[in-house]
Amino acid sequence: MSIDTSAAGVSGNRSGSAVIEFVRKPLVVALVLIVALLALGEALSPGFASLQQILRLSIVAALLGIVAAGQNLVILGGREGIDLSVGGVVSLSAIIAGNLMMGQNGGILPAVLVCLATGALFGLANGLGVTLLRIPPLVMTLGMLGVLQGLLVVIRQGIPSGRAAPALSQFVSQPFLLGLPGIIWLWLAIGLLMAFLLKRTVFGYRVYAIGSNEQAAYMAGVPVRTIRVALFMLSGMFAALAGICLLGYSGSSFANVGETYMLPSIIAVVLGGTPLAGGRGGYTGTMAGAMLLVVLQSILTTINIDESGRQMIFGATLLVLMLFYGRAKAMRG
Amino acid sequence: MTELLIRGARKAYGATLALRRGDFDLKGGEVHVLIGSNGSGKSTLCKIVAGSVKPDAGEVVLNGAPVTIAGPQASRALGIGIFYQELSLAARRTVAENILLPELPATGGLFVNRRELDERAARYIAEFADVAGDGFSADTPVLNLRADQRQLVEIMKALASEAPILIFDEPTSALDRAQVDRFFEILKRLKGEGRAIVFISHRMDEIFAIGDRVTVIRDGETVATSNIAETDPSTVIRQMVGDQGELVAAAAAPAAAPGEARIALQVDRLGGQGFTEISFRVARGEILGFGGLHGQGQSSVLRALFGAASHDAGSVTLDGKPYKAASPRDAIAHGVAYVSGDRSRDGVVQGRPILENVTPIHFLRNRIGLVRPSALKDKADGPLKALKTKFQTIDHPINSLSGGNQQKIVIARWLIDRPDVLLLDDPTKGIDLQAKSDLFALIRQLAAEGMGIVLYSSEDAELLANADRILVFNSGSVTRELRGDERTRYNLYHAAYEAA
Repeated sequence: MSIDTSAAGVSGNRSGSAVIEFVRKPLVVALVLIVALLALGEALSPGFASLQQILRLSIVAALLGIVAAGQNLVILGGREGIDLSVGGVVSLSAIIAGNLMMGQNGGILPAVLVCLATGALFGLANGLGVTLLRIPPLVMTLGMLGVLQGLLVVIRQGIPSGRAAPALSQFVSQPFLLGLPGIIWLWLAIGLLMAFLLKRTVFGYRVYAIGSNEQAAYMAGVPVRTIRVALFMLSGMFAALAGICLLGYSGSSFANVGETYMLPSIIAVVLGGTPLAGGRGGYTGTMAGAMLLVVLQSILTTINIDESGRQMIFGATLLVLMLFYGRAKAMRG
Repeated sequence: MTELLIRGARKAYGATLALRRGDFDLKGGEVHVLIGSNGSGKSTLCKIVAGSVKPDAGEVVLNGAPVTIAGPQASRALGIGIFYQELSLAARRTVAENILLPELPATGGLFVNRRELDERAARYIAEFADVAGDGFSADTPVLNLRADQRQLVEIMKALASEAPILIFDEPTSALDRAQVDRFFEILKRLKGEGRAIVFISHRMDEIFAIGDRVTVIRDGETVATSNIAETDPSTVIRQMVGDQGELVAAAAAPAAAPGEARIALQVDRLGGQGFTEISFRVARGEILGFGGLHGQGQSSVLRALFGAASHDAGSVTLDGKPYKAASPRDAIAHGVAYVSGDRSRDGVVQGRPILENVTPIHFLRNRIGLVRPSALKDKADGPLKALKTKFQTIDHPINSLSGGNQQKIVIARWLIDRPDVLLLDDPTKGIDLQAKSDLFALIRQLAAEGMGIVLYSSEDAELLANADRILVFNSGSVTRELRGDERTRYNLYHAAYEAA
């Protein structure tokens, strides 16, 4: 939706209300806030908004954005869809990838395949738990996160941490094409893929349909369960992909590297205009939401707020957003 | 002596006038029957007495003083006890707790007094002890009871209010003969104590067995109040029908010779949740009507045929081939379409564009994976035009349309690829007159083009005007078939209110 509407807003110079509506789009709000925060950062600490720095922030945002893509899909599918296990999958994937690569480029392909399969497997388990066993997504994925955390402890005791292949590290942090690192291109490609999936495939139509009115979708022949399982699998795969990229970013896998992704991935989705109730929104806004969060995080670091403070601020941000969207929903009805 | 008077009560929901002029008087020491067809305003009047609906105009006078009933609790405080037709029991609590749920005896205003609870509940349970059947006791969770036993708990709950005025809205629908007899004995005793009882039922024999007076409501107006002793069932039905007794000419039924018409759908002895032994045939080109009072199994049969509910007995053939839908998806693949009257629950995908709302069946039937909006718009255009749907652009959200136009979108989704059988489950509920007439014009045309159509409508006029044949449902079975000249309002009501 964001792609279509923003395009319409740019091309159309209709009435004033159209302008107001355009300005109130979550995507626009997020973009404006990004610029504002960059300006604030530049004022606080000159050099904050330098091209070099923005590029660095974009790489971090890309990592978050890839996780948020899966989170976005699960949330769009409605019925309180949420995936709290993404952080665990990111960590597990980073460890698996590191140990399969061991610093060798030849290990990249098998690592990618194994990691994606692992992510899909955990997503499948989440999806089956939610659809067949009717466990609420919050409980199901939280339980899965617990399983993953335990698994990580066991793995780390038995296996030395692996190292990223040089080509992967290069792909993530060095210029790849037109001066931009490969991961930025990957993120943009995922953005296009998500837009295509949601706007131009029947799968996408069905995701919105089950997110908005599951019963009506069922009565119209939509395979509700299959689609919901697919969404969780995609979420697991995106988290696994992010785990591989994270390994490339940090060079070697280490303890609970992905843990910090759970909350931000949800906030990025909501900031981008997809309500937690699902059925509305899209990925373009989520991309802006991810960038906004990373810039915010960087500013908080710049003004010497430590990790615990940042977590508190993120949590509070989510709650404030809920307030905002709760009201918007009531107005809609 | 208790006396409740309702004068000129009026209630509108938006543009729909549910009650035009409701008059009703209730005296102590009588059982007063309230009767009226679907949508006559009977339940609205009942809800006004119960305090759950506030009238727009008119007055409610209790024992000589005008009162405003602010809500269910207020009506209770005024001495009005109600039996709810929609079961209002707490499933995991015991029989005793449910009976006294509205006013649990408490110690110090805080702790439930178990002993008093059991003692008080036991009195009401004892009344039905020998007819309640197996597994019924004070400490049985309601969850474990049969439907008739639950209904008994509802009755006990109403009785336990010990209110001077008692309202029973279809209290006997699930009860067996002995239970009904016992209930009537109790009603007679309460009447003797001077209590005033409102009794709503669609069983003529019960009405005449227990009632003292009967008030008939038609089209939102009270038309007559008579003493039961001075009237008879035919007169009551005639009062419900009014001047519209003659045959409402249906559009010319297709004149296909019997045997020549191809049977689109044949149902043999279908049974399931809420219906038993249902058999009928629908020919191509025919509109078969389902009639009767609300909730007599009509929707359940249609939903079972569409795979949205299961059926456990009987067989169905579609175009001569055995057919059993495991899910709506399955039914759609077989060329069966279903339009629900509850469009916000079963039909509309809120907040999404019209295009997304009109295309899901097309995707499914053609195994489409990729969306080409321009081609889809062309496909959707025909059905939307045929239904005279009004919308700005197909990319606008469906919520931007009126109820009638939303329903047209939901119907249009079935018409991009023509189904063989169209099941209409009260499809015009809550939509405007223009939309209704557009819809029925199209349905007749679809039938003429060879579709087999089943139409359930809770609006009797609509059914009489549009169905070629009518099956009248009562308590989950078909009690009568009306063909040709038999399709009159009188016959429809007569069959619908027949003793079960």
